[in-house]
Amino acid sequence: MSDACRFESDTIAAAKSGQWTDTLRAHVASCADCSATASVAAWMDRIGRTDERTHKLPDPSVVWLKSQLLRGTAAAERVSRPVTIAQVLAYFTVAAGWAGFLNWKWEIVQRWMVGVSAQHIAVNAASTSGVSLGMLATLFLLATITVVVALHTILAEE
Amino acid sequence: MYADAMALPAFAAAPSEARTGGRAPQTPMNEAKFEALYRRNAASLWSYLHRLTGNASVADDLVQKTFFRFIRANPETESDDHTRRYLYRTATNLAFDHFRETKREREVTAAMVSNGETRGTGSDLRHDMTRVFTELKPRERALLWLAHVEGSSHEEIAEALGVKSKSVKVLLFRARRRLADVLRKHGLAPQELA
Repeated sequence: MSDACRFESDTIAAAKSGQWTDTLRAHVASCADCSATASVAAWMDRIGRTDERTHKLPDPSVVWLKSQLLRGTAAAERVSRPVTIAQVLAYFTVAAGWAGFLNWKWEIVQRWMVGVSAQHIAVNAASTSGVSLGMLATLFLLATITVVVALHTILAEE
Repeated sequence: MYADAMALPAFAAAPSEARTGGRAPQTPMNEAKFEALYRRNAASLWSYLHRLTGNASVADDLVQKTFFRFIRANPETESDDHTRRYLYRTATNLAFDHFRETKREREVTAAMVSNGETRGTGSDLRHDMTRVFTELKPRERALLWLAHVEGSSHEEIAEALGVKSKSVKVLLFRARRRLADVLRKHGLAPQELA
């Protein structure tokens, strides 16, 4: 239920037209709301009429087309969100994997890096007791995942 | 900029949709239906947003965003009047979001007075009126515009501004008193009863 004074619309109309009835005049004199309304109604009417109603707005077909394009973009973003999340998780997994691996086998990696020639690596790999099949498998797995993630990133961006 | 209007996450769009009734989407809107809706409402909506933001290009953007949101939400509106209220509600939320985002309401207000659009194309009368109107707060402008220019009822104003219907009477009274004071300050005496 409206709380407005029941004479409010009459007051606005009278203030616009300047045609006041005695009853309305008497009411406005005793009603603070209508008195405030009457004091600004004519001015508000003028500002409403002087406003730029003729301003050129975009054609509705243009707005419709834009909305359809944006709807498509929004839908594509929604669909690709899980892929993006998976990609970020993959980056973290790869980084954590390498960090864990280096932490686990840092001494052996360091020894490899000292004698970094193909022949040296082959000899060391065969003779070093610290190199296990598990370590080589882990290394291979990490390298594969890194390459796959990198390829996916490059191809997705292209 | 428009992408923001469409790509809002569900949690950002939900409050305004919930406040407008939370109705389930109806059959998809087609272009012809949209065109009729746009032609009925766009001009008055632009005027409202122009007065509220004080900037024609911001009003242009916000009008389009309002319609983008309407198309996306595709609310089940019972009548033209209900659709209109939904649009004004969305437009008001977008305008207030704009003020919050830019945090330069005062600059906008000042720009409205001094920018070329009002000075170059308008008459002195329009310029003076604009200056007076921009001395009010955005909510006061919205209240007065809806009540006096759009002829909205207190319920419609409450819905558009997201306030309780009973508060509109008090807010409107204060806004009118403020405008009367500003008019007096500028030597534009408020209308006295004949």
